Amino acid sequence: MTNHMRQGIRSGFVVGFLIIFLILVGAIFIMVKLISGALHITPERTLLAILLLIFLLTGAQFSRVKANNEKLPLQFAIMRAAIAGAMAGLMIGLTTLLIISLQEKGINLRTYLYQLSPNSLTLWAQGLPAAQAAIFHFLLCLITFPLGALLAFVYGRLKLKDRISHWSGSGQAFGNRLILPLSRGIWGKIAIYVILGGLLLFVPMRINDYWNFTLGTVGIYVMMGLGLNIVVGLAGLLDLGYVVFFAVGSYTMALLTAPTPHHILWNFWFVLPIAVGLAAIIGVLLGIPVLRLRGDYLAIVTLGFGEIIRVLLKAEALSGFSNGPRGIPKIGQPVLFGIQFTERTFMYMIILGVILAIFLTIRLQNSKIGRSWIAIREDETVAQAMGINTLKAKLLAFGIGASFAGLGGALFASRSQFTGPDDFTLMISINVLAVVIVGGMGSIPGVIAGAFVLKGLPEILRDLESYRILAFGALLVVMMIYRPQGLIPSTRRRLTMRADKKPEIPEQAPVPPAQGGEKQ
Amino acid sequence: MGDAIAPVRIRKRITTYQISQIVIGIAFIAYVTWRLYTIIVIRHTYGPDTWVKFAISGLIIGSVYALITIGYTLVYAILRMINFAHSEVFMVGSFAGFFVFEGLKNVHLGGAEGIPFIDAFPIPSIILAFAAGIAVSMLTGITLERIAYRPLRGAPRLVPLISAVGASIFLQNAAQLMFGPQRRTFYNLPALDRNLGWTITVASKPVLITYTGVFTFILAIILLVSLYLLVQKTRLGRAMRAVSENKQTAALMGIDVDAIISRTFAISGVLAGSAGVMWGLHYGQIHSYVGFIPGIKAFTAAVLGGIGNIPGAMLGSMLLGLIESLGPGGLGIDFQLKDVIAFSILVLVLIFRPSGILGEVGSQEKL
Repeated sequence: MTNHMRQGIRSGFVVGFLIIFLILVGAIFIMVKLISGALHITPERTLLAILLLIFLLTGAQFSRVKANNEKLPLQFAIMRAAIAGAMAGLMIGLTTLLIISLQEKGINLRTYLYQLSPNSLTLWAQGLPAAQAAIFHFLLCLITFPLGALLAFVYGRLKLKDRISHWSGSGQAFGNRLILPLSRGIWGKIAIYVILGGLLLFVPMRINDYWNFTLGTVGIYVMMGLGLNIVVGLAGLLDLGYVVFFAVGSYTMALLTAPTPHHILWNFWFVLPIAVGLAAIIGVLLGIPVLRLRGDYLAIVTLGFGEIIRVLLKAEALSGFSNGPRGIPKIGQPVLFGIQFTERTFMYMIILGVILAIFLTIRLQNSKIGRSWIAIREDETVAQAMGINTLKAKLLAFGIGASFAGLGGALFASRSQFTGPDDFTLMISINVLAVVIVGGMGSIPGVIAGAFVLKGLPEILRDLESYRILAFGALLVVMMIYRPQGLIPSTRRRLTMRADKKPEIPEQAPVPPAQGGEKQ
Repeated sequence: MGDAIAPVRIRKRITTYQISQIVIGIAFIAYVTWRLYTIIVIRHTYGPDTWVKFAISGLIIGSVYALITIGYTLVYAILRMINFAHSEVFMVGSFAGFFVFEGLKNVHLGGAEGIPFIDAFPIPSIILAFAAGIAVSMLTGITLERIAYRPLRGAPRLVPLISAVGASIFLQNAAQLMFGPQRRTFYNLPALDRNLGWTITVASKPVLITYTGVFTFILAIILLVSLYLLVQKTRLGRAMRAVSENKQTAALMGIDVDAIISRTFAISGVLAGSAGVMWGLHYGQIHSYVGFIPGIKAFTAAVLGGIGNIPGAMLGSMLLGLIESLGPGGLGIDFQLKDVIAFSILVLVLIFRPSGILGEVGSQEKL
């Protein structure tokens, strides 16, 4: 009895907290705006629908909870759901009462809580006065939670679930039967490459400059993601200051081709390899002091480097060299056979760069050095015992990873013709890291998919711009807990994780160690 | 004649790394000596009063860093992991303090025209602000551990680290979305005005020591001493040290490891929360990224003193605070670049003495 009580209160607390958080962050209002705009429903109804969906789903969880390996009987599930609903309703109701009555008193809540504009609050209260709105939300929770549990119970009885999973399973089998053998045979491979090549050749021609620019950004992120993939995914070194190398690439390109600070005006094609090489050298130089140490140090030192570079570029004291906070305009553009590059030609160049990066990564991955990186990632001590010069291998990983970012940076600067210290914030490092991790550490298709998902999707969903980084943060945590191998994991990692997922005792922690040698 | 077996001598190889270490060391010392000589002896850029001012502000910022650093060090000692989101625990605490002040400012005693509560009772207001900051930070710390770190216990090292980075970004942006992007100014209490203080005379020039500075420093020292006593003398502290030594053995001795870890996060939250409110009281301005720089600095201080080592953390923080506030003046560089000095210190420490000044706890577990 007390167990049901405690569980119910706990779940209710979590849901209530979540909803209040969504209100305070304003996420729920943005969702309402998007959905009601798309489906032409009034915002009030949309809000109600979203809340109902959340509450019903939470309620449904209760009938799936297992106690002593048996499903909870219906009456207990409903009781738990009711307790949870009461708890969540109490929290949400009290918050509603507080904020709405404060607003009715004439206090502008926006001065403190940025998202609570009067419109949003009226929407949340459904146009009701404070007390009624609070009671409304309380009752909504109290009723929908048990309802959800009941519906889930009925649903389970009808065995609908099995049928649905049967359908989706057959879909997957269909994909396996058709696509996989195709990619195995030599002709199939050729066909896939031809199709891909055709797409890459024709797509930039068919789309306008805006989309070429956007896809170009995605391409630059793929490039950087592949570079960081070598550092984080293959060698297992967490680099949080990857933006440094991006900045080195950009600024090399800018300083050596732009007229303003130094008036050097070298040719783009001459500077490009210099930028890449310099980024690699800086990578090795920065790596020397920290790569001898444990990974945790590396993370924070690189984070520090990332911050230093911004401060240095922004400093007035150094503006004679770097133009300070004003940035560098009129960066040189590439000219090939007398043709000035446009967004479209740039897109082709970025595609070439990406292909080069992919090719290099594949070759490196399967080489001796690539295998030693993986060995270092899995267990450094053992790798050392196997005769790998770990410091050298790590430095190489750092240098090569940096050179990819240098290439990306040089292209980025030349394409936008302007670069300044504000292009190189910590968020760049975090974005690239998220690309690698969400896509799947050590996996090339994963990185490409990650770049499209994380850089391409937000372009389509402009309204969600301010929530993107918030979602990245949450995504990193959630991925680490539920799917540390990423969306499209590399084969090796998938196999390791699967081997780990077979616990001998069913009630074990979700992710047992992948490393054998580490002491607990 | 002589020995048949010559004693085997292992020749010590001098690696390139050691050579570069020596070169960097000499270059660094030469540069610092030259700059200090020019600034202090030749140019007399600053009088003694300015140096005293710098030193005082260094001690104050150092004491705030110390409170944050302890959080890193405690968690590191127990979980062998850098709690990246710790700077956000600090930020959340400062916001809690801010909101308490704003709330009390709007509570008027004796009707709508009466004096605000905060002016009538400044000391209870400060206590309330600290209580709120501590409570919120503590809860954030515990929740953080429960959601982002506990499910990952025993996973490869990179996994919790990434999760921590994610949690940090999440909290930062959640705060920005909730409280808005603008800077917030802490209410300046008339009883503890940021701009007032005692004046002492150094070389016949006045030097102001602000009340908030002294308050911050003393409170920080009290908290640090009580933390040290807690870790060394109490049952909880003993359990914490045992868990830090070896989790499995500690569990066998009947210690609830999860509970101890949770409490460690709570304690670091308490310290970070009070540091957050102190920051607000002394420096006045907070925003959602307020934790970032103090967070990295505190980590630097932890490494400087030897991560995992509590006295080391305090020493490292004070030292870092002093270096950071005396450094730009002493070396004659732009004050904007003081963060660069702090990070250069970090890199130098990592090159020459990675285990920090007082050495690292549990160094046998170093990989």
